[in-house]
Amino acid sequence: MSVTETAAWKALEDHAAMMQNTHLRDLFLADSSDKKRFDELSLSHEHLLLDFSKQRITQNTLTLLKALADNCQLNDWKARLFNGDHINTSEDRPALHTALRQPEDSHLALANHNIIGDVHANLAHMASMVERIHAGQWRGYSGLPIDTIVNIGVGGSDLGPLMACKALSDAQPPEGHQLKMHFVSSMDGSQIADLLDRLVPTTTLFIISSKSFTTIDTLSNANTARQWLKSASGVKTELLNRRHFIGISASAEKMNQWGIPENSQLNFWDWTGGRYSMWSAIGLPIALRIGMQGFKAMLSGAHAMDEHFKTAPFEENLPVRLGMIGIWNINFLNIHAHAILPYDGRLSHLPAYLEQLEMESNGKSVSRQGEAIGYSTCPILWGEIGPNAQHAFYQLLHQGSESVMCDFIAPARRYDDFNNKGLQQQHQLSLANCLAQSRLLALGDAAIAGNDTAPIHKRYRGNQPSTTVLLDELNPYSFGQLIALYEHKVFVQSVIWDINPFDQWGVELGKKMATDLLKPLENEPSYSSFDSSTEGLLNAILNKQEPGQ
Amino acid sequence: MKIAIWGLELTAWATAGILAQSGNDVFIVNDTSITDPVILMGSSIRNEPGLKDLIADQFTKQRLQFINSDSAALLSIHILSMNPAAFENATIVVDDIAKLNSKKLLIINQSHFGVGCTDKLQTLLDHDNDQVVAYLAENISEGEALNNLRHPKSITFGCTNEWASMMIRALLRPFSAHLEQLLVMTPKEAEFAKLSITGMLALRIGYINELANLAEQLNVDIDVIKQSMGADPRIGHHYLNPGCGFGGNTFSQTIKGLANLLAEKRQSHLLDMVLQENEKQKEQPFRKLWQHYECDIHNLNITIWGASFKPGSAALDSAPSLRIISALIAQQAHVHIHDPEALENIEKLYGDHPQVHTYRDKYEALNNADALLLLTEWPEYWSPDFEMMHSRMQAPLIIDGRNVFNKALLESLNFIYYGIGR
Repeated sequence: MSVTETAAWKALEDHAAMMQNTHLRDLFLADSSDKKRFDELSLSHEHLLLDFSKQRITQNTLTLLKALADNCQLNDWKARLFNGDHINTSEDRPALHTALRQPEDSHLALANHNIIGDVHANLAHMASMVERIHAGQWRGYSGLPIDTIVNIGVGGSDLGPLMACKALSDAQPPEGHQLKMHFVSSMDGSQIADLLDRLVPTTTLFIISSKSFTTIDTLSNANTARQWLKSASGVKTELLNRRHFIGISASAEKMNQWGIPENSQLNFWDWTGGRYSMWSAIGLPIALRIGMQGFKAMLSGAHAMDEHFKTAPFEENLPVRLGMIGIWNINFLNIHAHAILPYDGRLSHLPAYLEQLEMESNGKSVSRQGEAIGYSTCPILWGEIGPNAQHAFYQLLHQGSESVMCDFIAPARRYDDFNNKGLQQQHQLSLANCLAQSRLLALGDAAIAGNDTAPIHKRYRGNQPSTTVLLDELNPYSFGQLIALYEHKVFVQSVIWDINPFDQWGVELGKKMATDLLKPLENEPSYSSFDSSTEGLLNAILNKQEPGQ
Repeated sequence: MKIAIWGLELTAWATAGILAQSGNDVFIVNDTSITDPVILMGSSIRNEPGLKDLIADQFTKQRLQFINSDSAALLSIHILSMNPAAFENATIVVDDIAKLNSKKLLIINQSHFGVGCTDKLQTLLDHDNDQVVAYLAENISEGEALNNLRHPKSITFGCTNEWASMMIRALLRPFSAHLEQLLVMTPKEAEFAKLSITGMLALRIGYINELANLAEQLNVDIDVIKQSMGADPRIGHHYLNPGCGFGGNTFSQTIKGLANLLAEKRQSHLLDMVLQENEKQKEQPFRKLWQHYECDIHNLNITIWGASFKPGSAALDSAPSLRIISALIAQQAHVHIHDPEALENIEKLYGDHPQVHTYRDKYEALNNADALLLLTEWPEYWSPDFEMMHSRMQAPLIIDGRNVFNKALLESLNFIYYGIGR
């Protein structure tokens, strides 16, 4: 039976029919001195506070959502996630990113083998690499210490480390600060071409991150890097492999084939999904940036969120509440656009990261039973640093025709350690804007006295729901909590939608098709035939590439 | 004359020694309970050639004595030979002296507090009534301190008071036999001149090292180049020996002081670069080893001859050997060290480190060696028994960080030889 046919779903539909006509402004009007929406609808855990009072919900909505979650056996699914059941059914394996942040003295057996031991052995290997690089004792082919790191990876092997390094830039120890760090992902070589112009071969180390170690984007960048080192140094490839490359992959065999020596290899496992992998060895650039202590604080923050998600009841559970309210907005209020709006420049890569996390996980329309599903799943996510987006797409949020749900994310404290009043004032200004925008989106004209008589092009409809995620401050621990919060939110929604969030078959066929199209572009005989659009474009490209054109 | 010496730096002890020897009554300010000067000196100063005996002798003759600071402050002539970082302490000392005296006072500052610091001290005293703080540029190098003080070729001091200048000339008179130049200027100018000289020396060393590294890549012998450069009278031969970098606390700290001043006031990074390149240069012998063994030296036996920052000193302060030992340890090599003076300091630093071994016999340190790194040009290394060396070494590889050996000779004896810049 499809979830849409359950009593719990139908009850929510009935409730939504009523709520459709209720404006957030009116919900707040019902506040009284002893009963306030904020007190009733905000939740906190350790360093995070989530305010859901600007969502179009009442206590009744939450009761009905709980019934739906129970109906979908959310608690069972949580247990299966943490236990390592093969809930990634299409690939027949568990999804155990939570194991990557379990403490060393804990235990989790997969096929009678304690994987927590493996995780911590790998962390220790990573720590020894970090220590060596920070001490200036990882030497390049000339004997000079490495002072520049280039991470080559794409998708999960790029977005997580890139985002975290930026987000935690204030948490750098001096050794991390001295390292220059770059990220290269683009297949066309434009990032690496630009970098190689500026980098010094003797002191540059490349981290090649790829779960399969076959990703064409990554390997083509890696080969370009190695070629560059080879022509600059004139030394043997074997020597460059040993001193200028670290490989991070689930396939030791493929790393061996490429030439990475064993003690420069870091492993992770097929039970870690790419977009859930920054807690693994893929996080090496993060550890190099913020030190191993910082990296472990990040893991602890995420682990604290895991425990909270696992044990807190529905009424207090942050990821469950965040996920279920998403369900309410998408499936019952029919909102299909979701904006991620951090009010902190350090989180500039968070929107891109969540785009992958949510859309690659839940952008699906086939159930776990292999049947087409007849309801909406993951909405379209996008985002930008809030204050910058105010000058870009907020116009649409305030006066466009689409309903959009927003996540406002901000730290309460910042620049505590900076003796700079100007910066401290800028932080307050940013917070003032964050509060102003979510208030205006929710209340519309009612937010400002007198605006209801303004001409119509100056009027604000309001009633755009939002969640505000307030961090005490942005540090490795709270950052770990924040990212784990979203990971579990995604899982909660996948349970309600009855889909597998841990595979990504939708990205496979394009890679295969590209291989087919490479042949005609390289003037090799191709036996494939294409549609007239593709044929036309192919011919146009080949014509334009003819010498003399 | 009765003179109080403030500070326990090498300059303080050496100055006290030679002033006592020339007949002055010298009082070293000592507020500790230590009564034995040799203990108070500490190991690195104690190793300064001739100093320990001179001090002991002068103590026996009672021309040199300890004094506590309260009694010292009552004297009329003072010399400040204090640590460069102790400026605040110096102001307290001068302030105390000022409070206790209305008579004529001469305070000779020869500490590297920085440009303008002598003038700052002067503000605590009444210059017009012959209470004067003057600056005397010390010109000693570790290992040759006594010689430098006894036979200076030039002396620069900063003083604008007639009486004080006369007193300083009188104090220096016993050491003026070989004096070619006595330059008197304002204290600030004298401080600046001292800094400028040190900076110039650093620039010369930095420059010749850069040239040496380039010569290597162009397959040119830096020895030839250096001789030609030195023959030019505008340049001269001093401080033109390429090597694996300079160390030593006083020299490095003074340059750092000037580098900071240049960066702060002029946004100039000339000397910063020299210091940075010097740190890199210290690892040059390691890099030659590393490249020779194709980036893998784990489990190799590497011998080091010479660990102190320069011959004649036991001190390891900022010595190239320290960076090289760290690098070798990090690459899992075994390090076998000989040094005529510095072994105790090495042992203190590395204790029972399983990869670090020390030897009193330089040939014994070579047993089964995969390479010899010569880092300090002690005289006893200049003409060793090469055949014995060859027979003891596992691989006859010599990396000469001070260009001590004759390359052609060593190659004729079947050594593989790398120098700096040749």
